[in-house]
Amino acid sequence: MINFIDVCDRAATGPMMLQKDYDTKVFIPALRRAIKKYDIKYDRKELVNTDDTLADRIFEAAVEFYSEVGTYITDTERVIQFSKPEILEGVEDAPKEAYFGEGPDRCVMKGRMPDSDELPYCHVGSGTNTTEENALRLVESYARISKAKTISIPIINTLGHIRTAAGAPTEVFASIRAMQYGREGCRRAGRPGLGIIDHVSSASTGVSTIASSAPQFGARPSDGWLVSPFAELKTDYSSLNQTAYLTAWGANIGQEAGPILGGYAGGPEGLAIVNTAYSLHGILVIRATYHLIYPIHMTHVCSSHPDVLWATSLSTQAIARNMGVPYYTLLYAAAGAATKMYFDEALACLLMLIASGSGIEDVHPGRAKITDGCTPVDMEFTCQVGHACKGLTRKEADKLLKKIVPKYADKLADAPLGEKVDECYDLDYFKPKPHFEKLYAEVLEDIKSEFGIDLVRY
Amino acid sequence: MEKEALDAISVAVQEGDADKLVSAVTAALENLPPLDIIRNGMMIGLKKIGDMFGSGEIFLPEMLMAAEAFQEAMKVVEPKLIESGQTIESSGKVVFGTVVSDVHEIGKNIVITLMKTNGFDVLDLGANVSPTTFVAEAEKYGADVIAMSALMTTTMTYQKDTIDYLKEKGLRDKYIVLVGGGPVNPEWAEQIGADGSSDSAVGAVELATRLITNKRGGNPA
Repeated sequence: MINFIDVCDRAATGPMMLQKDYDTKVFIPALRRAIKKYDIKYDRKELVNTDDTLADRIFEAAVEFYSEVGTYITDTERVIQFSKPEILEGVEDAPKEAYFGEGPDRCVMKGRMPDSDELPYCHVGSGTNTTEENALRLVESYARISKAKTISIPIINTLGHIRTAAGAPTEVFASIRAMQYGREGCRRAGRPGLGIIDHVSSASTGVSTIASSAPQFGARPSDGWLVSPFAELKTDYSSLNQTAYLTAWGANIGQEAGPILGGYAGGPEGLAIVNTAYSLHGILVIRATYHLIYPIHMTHVCSSHPDVLWATSLSTQAIARNMGVPYYTLLYAAAGAATKMYFDEALACLLMLIASGSGIEDVHPGRAKITDGCTPVDMEFTCQVGHACKGLTRKEADKLLKKIVPKYADKLADAPLGEKVDECYDLDYFKPKPHFEKLYAEVLEDIKSEFGIDLVRY
Repeated sequence: MEKEALDAISVAVQEGDADKLVSAVTAALENLPPLDIIRNGMMIGLKKIGDMFGSGEIFLPEMLMAAEAFQEAMKVVEPKLIESGQTIESSGKVVFGTVVSDVHEIGKNIVITLMKTNGFDVLDLGANVSPTTFVAEAEKYGADVIAMSALMTTTMTYQKDTIDYLKEKGLRDKYIVLVGGGPVNPEWAEQIGADGSSDSAVGAVELATRLITNKRGGNPA
């Protein structure tokens, strides 16, 4: 695979263009050509793709598309380009396993095929944002979920009464404290070796990431660091600086991206290709050892919309069948926490992912717009579904989704706001408050009676 | 004949076909006043595109192509409009940017494109825009609206800084201030003293239209 130093060289010497021209004259036309050439069509008959040949065409389309568009670097206004043979060599050489954590909590994330009997990788934490006061107890509550192999730790929005600000010293402090609370929360839960794989969620800049990753604050190379681009297929020197630092350290790097259905990717067909292309970008530019995608619908600001579900099922299968990289997906529900609609949306998302070959993470409630808007129950639910539904085939998942999605699809625009974690969950005793416990028991009963899925509480 | 020409112009806008649109506009200028071509041909096409985007029939690429074609055609028709001494009434003037320390632009770009299809004049300040720049540019542009996007919880705070700076300068009431972006919700908008926020591009355009109408003393929809 091409060396990272050569990638940096291309960032400084590749073709120069305005960002607007990259979007409209390079990205959009190349995507349209790929959709046409590889005959990618969404017939709306399936919510979970069951066609292997279509999944493979998505991969071929993504390779061709990425060879034409590359990755745009905003600092230099240049495009890092790769030839098709370079891309395919990168796919061949990319890590197929990522190891996280230490001691008894050490685990491996690896690629998984569609319709697989293997247990899906269960990760929890879903990019919560919180106050400093709640951070430690939240991490402890996540780490207590025994079926979770790794966790994400919350973004800290406030230090006492002061809001943290990107690029400011408050962000450096918040990032360091998030790291410290993360490690301490795992220790309190009795899992000191648990891998934290969203470092450093409180850091939006390279300087905060690097500062808070110093080992004296608790970071270990067996954790994972997410390096994000911005829509679509663009990055900057701040992100490449993170990669340079983490590569030199030998730490796990996660490629993360949130492509937008309705944005530059266009409709579901384009989203499936762009989702897949992000993993190519991840391998070659970010030097990813693992991959995370979180596609979202532009209008509904969630991922449980049928168009996003289909596109994500397709790209997940394209990646699973043709790349085999460690891969998990974070999806967003429109409904807030502690509502029945949330669990309908989450179930649809998780079943699609399990059958398509992705690792799973708790579906984020309330369009990710609410501080303290996630609960540990969402995370337990994810692990319960993962364990109960391993071996689910795409055909079975499609059939189930055709019953689940109509329950919420016409309510997405006016989804209930739900509750904040303090309102529905007791963080002192690590259990749902009585009204949420009652609702959750009903949800589990409904899922068993309506869909025949028996979710065991661990 | 006139109707056919205007329909052809509207269709060319909707197809985002700049070449076809420029030739249709050039031909129409032989017989029709420039304001008529813009209002009853080009703007009709753009409005339809905006409506289709709002209903989810088309997406950003189609809308961008239509807006680009529109701009190309304006290069042909605008000199004639100036010659005629006529002007197009704007839905409102907006300065729009992503706040300082935030480089995410797609949300902003989507809203800007939709605003333009709805007759707004928009000055795109790009990303990483400081509070003082927002205010200075709004003053220079004669804006009705200052619109700020932020994708991260750690950059939302700069939306508040801009509003605080407007207050310090005694300019807060002069502008409608809209905020948006991934983590932004109505609670935050109210907390920092913004005039509103929206989850969607369509909602943002409706909100801007309603608030400008109110401010101009019109009847809110």
